[in-house]
Order: sequence, then C-alpha cells, then structure tokens
Amino acid sequence: MEDLAIQIKDLKKSYKELHALKGVNINIPKGGFFGLLGPNGAGKTTTINILTGLVFKNSGNCFVFGKDTVDDYRYTRSKIGIAAQELSVDWFFSIEKLLFFQAGYYGINRTDAKYRIEQLLKKLGLDKKKESRLRQLSGGMKRRFQIAKALVHDPDILILDEPTAGVDVELRHELWDYLKELHSNGKTILLTTHYIEEAELLCDNVSIIDEGEILKEGSPKKLTEDLGKSGVTVQLAKEIDELKIPILEKNYSIENSRMHFSVKNPEQAIPKIIQELTSKNITIHSIKTETSSLEDVFLELTGKSLNE
Amino acid sequence: MINWVGLYTLTSREVGRFFSVYRQTVIPGLISSVLYILIFGFTLEQRISEIQGVSYTMFILPGLIMMNTLTNASSNTSSSMLQMKLLQQLPDLLTAPLSGLEISLAYIIGGTIRGMVNGILVLLVGIVLIDLPVYNPAGTLLFIFLVSWAFSSMGLVMGQIAESWDQLAMIQNFFLTPLSFLGGVFYSIKMLPDWAQNLSYFNPIYYMINGIRFMILEKSDSPVSVSLWMAILLTFLFTSLAIIMMQSGKRLKQ
Repeated sequence: MEDLAIQIKDLKKSYKELHALKGVNINIPKGGFFGLLGPNGAGKTTTINILTGLVFKNSGNCFVFGKDTVDDYRYTRSKIGIAAQELSVDWFFSIEKLLFFQAGYYGINRTDAKYRIEQLLKKLGLDKKKESRLRQLSGGMKRRFQIAKALVHDPDILILDEPTAGVDVELRHELWDYLKELHSNGKTILLTTHYIEEAELLCDNVSIIDEGEILKEGSPKKLTEDLGKSGVTVQLAKEIDELKIPILEKNYSIENSRMHFSVKNPEQAIPKIIQELTSKNITIHSIKTETSSLEDVFLELTGKSLNE
Repeated sequence: MINWVGLYTLTSREVGRFFSVYRQTVIPGLISSVLYILIFGFTLEQRISEIQGVSYTMFILPGLIMMNTLTNASSNTSSSMLQMKLLQQLPDLLTAPLSGLEISLAYIIGGTIRGMVNGILVLLVGIVLIDLPVYNPAGTLLFIFLVSWAFSSMGLVMGQIAESWDQLAMIQNFFLTPLSFLGGVFYSIKMLPDWAQNLSYFNPIYYMINGIRFMILEKSDSPVSVSLWMAILLTFLFTSLAIIMMQSGKRLKQ
C-alpha cells in the first residue's frame, strides 16, 4: 500500500436520492499520472472532494501514502495540492499575498515561502502581476494562479480538476508541458477531464467514470486497443460474393462492394490487405483507415459522448 | 499538535482583511459615535436631566462603546465566513491541514481585534470630547475584550449558518440591533415599567452595557459581578458553539 500515492476503496456518496458515487475504486502509484475521465456529473469532482476533505463520504475509504484521509487528515492534506475547477475570487489581497497565505495554511512561514513563491510566479508568467488582485487577471492567468496556489507548499501529489476547462489552445498546451515537467520531476498527478486529448496525451492510466461508477481502467493505449473499433475499410471496384483471405479471414465483414477489416493497427494492416486482395485479382477502388480513440471507447462503454 | 503557522496566517488574513477596508470597518462606527455625542451633547442634553448622577451624553457613551464593539466583532466573522463561502475561498481552508479549532480561533481572534479596535476608538473619542472618566481602565478593557470575543464567536456561528447576505442582514436587523437598543444604551431600565424591566433581564446585551457602564462611570442597573459572569458565560457558550459547528463541518461541507 505504501507504493500507492492514492488509494480509493469502495467509495460511496449519495445526495438524497441521487447516488453520486456507487463504490469507486482507484489506485494511483507514486509518480503516476492518472486521469479520471467522464462527462459532466459523472462523479469526478465528488471523488476528488471526498479525497481532499471537502465533502463527506457515506462509506468507503481514501488513503494517501497509506494514511486515511479522515483519521490522518493533517498528513494527507499536507501531501496534496489542489487546483479546483471553480476559480475563487478575492477582493482584498494581491495574488502574491494570497500565495503567502496559502503557504501559511500549510505551516510554511514567510521566509521559507518567499523563494518558492518567487519561483512559481516566474515559472507561471505571473511575476509582473504579483501586486494585482485576482479580478484584474485574465481567465488564463487565473487558471495559472490556481496551479501556483496548488504548488506553493511543494506537495507530492497534485490534483487538478478540469485544469484546462475554458482555456485557449495556446495556454492549454503550455499547461500540458508544465504538467509533464512536474510529472517528470516526480510529482504524482491526478487530473479529471472531459478532454480526451488531454487524457491520451498526459496520462499513463485512466479510469472511465460515469454515473458514479468506474466502467473501465487502464492505459489509454490499452483501452483503445481492447475496446476500440479500429480498422480498414476497402471500397472494391465491383461487387463480389465470396472470397477467402486466409490471414485476415476472421477479421472482415463484407457488404456489397465494401469490405471492413477489424484490426488493432490499421496502418500496419494495409500492405497485407492490398497484397491479399491483389493476389486474388480483386481491384481496389479506395482504402480508408479508422483509428479509434478513447472517445470511441467511452462511447462504446456509456453510449454517450464525453461532452454530453 | 497545533498548526501555529496556519493559525497565525489565517488570523493575520482576517485582521488584514478588515484593516484593508477600514473605511467600511472602522471609520463608520467612529463617525456615528461622534454624531451621537454631538446631537445628544449639544442639543438634547439641555432637555434631558441627569441619569444616575451623570450627564446624558456621558451616560450613553459606555453603551455606544458596547454597541460598536459587538456589531463590529460579529459582523467581521459573519461577513468574512459568508464571503468565503460565496466567493469559493472556503475550499482553500477546508483542504488545508487546519483543524476546525484552528480555523475557528483564527476567525474569532480576527473579529475580537476588530471589536476591540472599534470599542477602544469610541472610548478614546469619549475621553477626548467629553472628558469621560474611566473609573476602572483594566475592567473597561476586560469588558471590551470579553464582549468582542463573545460576539465574534456569535458572528462565526451566524456566518456558518447563513447562505446569503439577506439572511445575515436579517439576523443583524431583527436580532442584534433591537437587542442592543433595548439593552439600555440610551436609558436606564429603571425608567421603564416593571414588565419591561423584567423583560430586559433576559437580554444578554443589557448586562454587557451595564458592565462596561460600571467600569467607566461606576454606575449600573445591576451588580457588576452579574454582568461579568454573564459576559464570561456568553463568551464560553458562543465560542464552544462556533468551534463545535466548525469541527463538525456540517454547515460548510456537503
């Protein structure tokens, strides 16, 4: 259990009649980059909020480095930095001051926090705005401030709830690069997202959650290979009735002049398909490949799109 | 083990918050107290005879100090807590390694400091403008401190319960302000009919006002020991309630 940064066991939560979480299990190893993938209302934020102490659970347990998040909350909370989905507002203090406060809540005094805050502001491009109030920052800057705030006490685990929601493409890529850097420096990262690209690009493991249940988990690659429907569609010059292609025998379907080969790696399969068909004197009109993504896997599992 | 740095940080945030908007949090109480002194001192005083052997302006001043103290102390904690809820700042505290006790104490100390600053400023205005004799300075400060702490704690309870500014204003307008006015700021309860006098004994603010009036003017409608015990009791009750609520987290978490 000590090798796990986060362990969530059979977590359940209900709001009156709504079963928000129906027994969620998640294991994230130390140094892992984990994505909790699901549409809005799937239970992603509830899971995170219970883990971080913002929401009461009905049953189940959450552990951070083997310690219970309720019994040992001081330890577990000190290990986690959270960038929430909702941007907070503050009318009174500069963003630099807010970072000092945040560090203070985690028991870090001003002197120790000073260097780290300077570095973070610089790294996230906020150093020239350090005297500004939050409301004076652009949306993207506010998002970067959220991340600075999450990192101010140098936590081992970084939790990001929809970190790039409502962020422009350029900043999204900047943030992704930064998250990759943090991960390569040893931070364990848990992010929730409904952007497939984000999960595919960053995460080494994802869990697909919908209606409070984890439907499937694994690496994005494995999930798409196991559950995705990738293949090659060949349009033939004319209709054929029957044919035998020994190598790919089991993997094709035929409908009039259209053949579909279900293969895990369409690009690699194309030469073989062409060879087989031409050797049988079948004329090919056109070839199209289909590569499935996590989005397809999600669609397959839940019957709905991630953005629903 | 206490997270001392966390406690200190949140306290300094609370104090910094009200000082940064001193025009809203310190000056208004001062202006209204000066206005009371001017209006009562220069106009009504000639028409109102002395109460308990002191001039009317002098008589009302301890009550003004108390009113200013308790409204400022309670509104600091209640508005700060509600603001934290509404502006999504509360998660920063609730996900930090801070206990309910530490969060409560930081808020209560913040509100106590605001209550004391406001109370002491009105006291100083009284000393400067009308030569207020302060019979027992230590006792006066003790009352200002206890009332600040008690009502700061009460404000924290209110702030945890309230979901909107409207609800908070309702508690303030329908509960705190009437009780302050009916607690004998502007009159001695001996001037009231018997039934109203008896009713006043159920008003905790009556004891606070009479306690500080005794410490400043050596005049009081009831024994100062009763006032002191009442202040201690209120402080204990509201502090316990605020901390228990914060530790349970039921009003702040889902």
